[in-house]
Amino acid sequence: MDTRYIGKPIKRLEDPRLLTGQALFTDDVHLDGLLHAAFLRSDYAHARIKSIDVSEALKRPGVIAVYTAEDFGDYWHVGPLQVPPPIAIPNAKFHAKGLPPIARGKVRFSGEPLAVVVAESRYIAEDAAGDILVDVEPLDAVVDLEKAFEDTSVLIHEDIGTNMAALVKQEKGSYAEAAAKADFIIKRKFHIDRGSAGAMENRALIASWENRTQSMTIWTNNQAPIPLRNTIASNLGLSDSQVHVITAFTGGGFGPKIMTSQADDVLLPWISKKLNRPVKWIEDRRENFLATTSERDQVHYCELALTRDGKILGFSDVFYHNTGAYDPYGMTVPLNTMTHTMGSYIVPNFYTEVRMVFTNKMVVSPVRGAGRMYGNYVMERMLDAAARELKLDVVEIRRKNLIQPEMLPLHTGITGQDFVENVIDSGNYPETLRKALEMIGYEKFVKEDQPKLRAQGKKVGIGIVTFVEGTGVGPYEGAKVTIEGSGKINVATGISSQGQGHYTSFAQIVAEQLGVEPKDVRITTGDTDQFDWGAGTFASRGMTVAGTAIYLASVNVRKKILKTASKALNAPEEELEISGGEVRVADIPTKSIKLGDLANRANPTRGVIEPGVEPGLEATAYYGPPYGATGQGSVAIILEVDPETFEVKIQRFVLVHDAGNIMNPMIVEGQIMGGVQMGLGNAFYEEIAYDEYGQLQNASLMDYLIPSATEMPPKIELGHVVSPSPLNPLGLKGVGEAGAIPIPSCFHQAIENALENKIEITASPMNPSRLFELTHK
Amino acid sequence: MSGEYKINVKVNGKNYERMVEPRLLLSDFIRHEIGLTGTHVGCEHGVCGTCTVLFDGLPSRSCLIFAVQAHRHEVVTVEGLGSIEQLHPLQKAFQEKHALQCGYCTPGFLMTLVPFVEKHSHPSDEEIREAIGGNLCRCTGYENIVEAVKLASAMMHTSKE
Amino acid sequence: MKIEGEHTFNGPRNEVWEMIRDPEILASALPGTQKLNKLSDTDYEGTMNVRVGPVSGSFSGKLVVSDEVPPQSCTLTVDGKGAPGFVRGVGHIKFEEQETNTTYMTYEGEVTIGGTLASVGQRMIDSVAKSMIRQGFESMDKALEARLANKSGQQVEYKPPTETEFAASVAKDVAKSWYQIAEVRMVMYVIPAAILLALIGYILSQLLHR
Repeated sequence: MDTRYIGKPIKRLEDPRLLTGQALFTDDVHLDGLLHAAFLRSDYAHARIKSIDVSEALKRPGVIAVYTAEDFGDYWHVGPLQVPPPIAIPNAKFHAKGLPPIARGKVRFSGEPLAVVVAESRYIAEDAAGDILVDVEPLDAVVDLEKAFEDTSVLIHEDIGTNMAALVKQEKGSYAEAAAKADFIIKRKFHIDRGSAGAMENRALIASWENRTQSMTIWTNNQAPIPLRNTIASNLGLSDSQVHVITAFTGGGFGPKIMTSQADDVLLPWISKKLNRPVKWIEDRRENFLATTSERDQVHYCELALTRDGKILGFSDVFYHNTGAYDPYGMTVPLNTMTHTMGSYIVPNFYTEVRMVFTNKMVVSPVRGAGRMYGNYVMERMLDAAARELKLDVVEIRRKNLIQPEMLPLHTGITGQDFVENVIDSGNYPETLRKALEMIGYEKFVKEDQPKLRAQGKKVGIGIVTFVEGTGVGPYEGAKVTIEGSGKINVATGISSQGQGHYTSFAQIVAEQLGVEPKDVRITTGDTDQFDWGAGTFASRGMTVAGTAIYLASVNVRKKILKTASKALNAPEEELEISGGEVRVADIPTKSIKLGDLANRANPTRGVIEPGVEPGLEATAYYGPPYGATGQGSVAIILEVDPETFEVKIQRFVLVHDAGNIMNPMIVEGQIMGGVQMGLGNAFYEEIAYDEYGQLQNASLMDYLIPSATEMPPKIELGHVVSPSPLNPLGLKGVGEAGAIPIPSCFHQAIENALENKIEITASPMNPSRLFELTHK
Repeated sequence: MSGEYKINVKVNGKNYERMVEPRLLLSDFIRHEIGLTGTHVGCEHGVCGTCTVLFDGLPSRSCLIFAVQAHRHEVVTVEGLGSIEQLHPLQKAFQEKHALQCGYCTPGFLMTLVPFVEKHSHPSDEEIREAIGGNLCRCTGYENIVEAVKLASAMMHTSKE
Repeated sequence: MKIEGEHTFNGPRNEVWEMIRDPEILASALPGTQKLNKLSDTDYEGTMNVRVGPVSGSFSGKLVVSDEVPPQSCTLTVDGKGAPGFVRGVGHIKFEEQETNTTYMTYEGEVTIGGTLASVGQRMIDSVAKSMIRQGFESMDKALEARLANKSGQQVEYKPPTETEFAASVAKDVAKSWYQIAEVRMVMYVIPAAILLALIGYILSQLLHR
């Protein structure tokens, strides 16, 4: 495709502001009369609240108010489910337990808010929170996924009589029949533990009620500003139009910032309205660990049925999924696991069953990778186990089972997070694998380099896996593209931005259509007064879904330009060209009109416009895919394990990715590289550790290890394969989570290979001490 | 509290005189007392490096320093580096090499790196990774930051040579 | 957290028993303690105000002695809480008289630590607890020595360590084990956390020594 901007590595337009400290983040907003909120959070993971005495806190100078659940009266209510129950799946059992904004009667995880202090400064608010006396009756904590199901277990939600949050079974074909025919059946148990999203900016919210205009303004770094606005309005009995949510620049999202109906967005607007003063809450890092949702805590029991020569006949996966104390985000994460377990492979018979469990831990909601990582982990690890058993090369067993391009689109028979059947739209899986092997030099490494290095006593190993990434799911997004009388182009969409480069990549789409430069296009994301239809930024859908809506709106504006210009220039539309901010008649360069002038013509202040014609050069469009676009790729890692310290050094890192057509390769590569860091963290460094009493053990960046520059591979070598998605006009697929998904499976395979398959890794994350234990069993 | 003290801090070449509590953190002083919000706070306990500023010319974590400790000292924040119209070579290189995504940690990286790029004309990858080892970034995976530092060093030292 | 250990007191069992059942002695052997109030023969309560660095708050603890079989054994239940978190624990203590006129004490129990103490101080809990226990025993040994000497007519003054001395010693012990931890990124962070943990140690040693 011959393009000016699409597919080009355009430098980011937002960078100069970010680089000079001129970009507005939520905590940068200062308002007259601003008050500051601090939450008192429960030290106990599970307890009955006997009393909360705030009298001392109220005496502290500078404290304006202290509220506990009782003080909110009828306003206190359990939040709605942000994602509905999986009604699309037959016989699904689901117990809905939305988030209470502030604990009433009982606390169910350590970090649950008990009281909110509002004061003239954050310092005073925190002091006063320390003055509050809480008397509780501690209860046994439920922390073990499987024990939570036992009859003797303490109940977290007594009213439902079980700790089972959900039970969902899906089957394609019959695993039992496959198992009966199989030459080999491999069985393994896996555990994948929790990691934090770890955005560098913590959560933040300012609520500002203005009595004179009867309107509420919210500044926040939420990933779903429109649903947020709608719930705030409905909570307070206001019209949606009375609430204005502005998402400022946001310091990374990675999932948890999508959550609404939490203490901040439920309580602060109410408090601001009551006190008629703006109130700010900025989460601190410890709160972020304790009380911002996190992910990845599943136990899997897997069975793989194979023929003697390594063909998959069937796969069975019964897994426990920890949803934490509540399940406000429905089953998005485990459903993602279910649709990603078969991965890049032909699995004729597949059984998947999730037992979702309530525990006294923080609520689980999607984090970059969102359930896909576990699906990938168990399938890839099972293939490794099978390769061992059948004495096959890890590549060979994968090649034998890969989905071939001519099989696409492929209906997988499994319903996913978007409540429709997962369909793989397009791709070339053998090609990404081939390319990854070629880039890392698989044959040479295995046949020449590795034996030599082993002879020198070096524990070097190679890993190779494939992965799929379901992206760009519905329901829909929308956008409005406007050419103003000044000639400026304004674009607004409902999703919000957390650093993905939307201000540039969206501008590229519009610039291409409207014959201007990207810098001439002003993009507004996540401001509900600019655009207020949409679901939010999640599931690698920003570019695929909102980007497509922007494209469709631009195409419509282009049509309006041509129609209006045709009249203005008295020339047929076919002879017109749009470039340099004006419309020209192709053969007569002097016959032209600027886009701004054209916009004014289409928006006259006097006279009449033709009946049926909309004023201005503006269009709004929506896009909703029938199902998500599936990205795919292969990863290869060469690493060395220090046999004494069990530190692992990555020597080569290759990732080949197919994200369909790419809008801005520089941004896409950046997304993958960032994802790799999180994946590596989940494989070897990062773990949110709870003890047996439900106490979080490492609520600081001191103890929770986000990989730094010295832990990352020296170079991330990226390869691209392009299979445009047939689902959207630009052929796009999402890419935000690709880097993270396949890392634990590949990294662990490479470690096993380095240690000459003397150990088998079935848990993630690993770390040096766990490796030591495994090797010294 | 235990009263307020008058302090005088030079920030980006300008003197600021304020009455502050002894417990006020320098990061809060910079952000909320004098309104320079380019300095961000990521962990409040000195690990992530996001709040790094130059304190008498040395990269320092402003969340671990009390504002009163900065009395009669000199602080340079990201706002003192370059402007949108005229970016510092390091800022230019960060944009050029896509070394930032959400941009939240970026001011901390820049302030950590200013003395480094001034000192090193041809830093190796290892030296750079060592230099930024105390700054956390969740978006970029660091590789592009390493590339940006190489570019910035080259730009700064060629123009001098 | 499971805890267990042993200690030999240089004195007869009855004397040791008497000492550990005397709140005055206990409080003095546990630096930083404000006076331990005796509510009944078996119930005690104590309060402590902490204000160091970023951590401040009042910490109050209740201690119950049960299953007493003087001078052989008892069970201690501790329940302390405050702004920095909480500590709950149960411990069983046994005393055996040795032929050498010494008393061999064994203890085992389970402690739950929650809140800020657990979530940011975890990595130091072990070493701080050990240090507190060691120091607690040292001062108990001195107290016992003074007690025995006074009984035999000698005048020996028992000077409990001050809060500062105690905290300094803990910080030193913790720092020793700290240098062995590879991931240490920011040493300044240790100091407030160490002080926090001194608090746990205080509760722990209360639990363990009685």
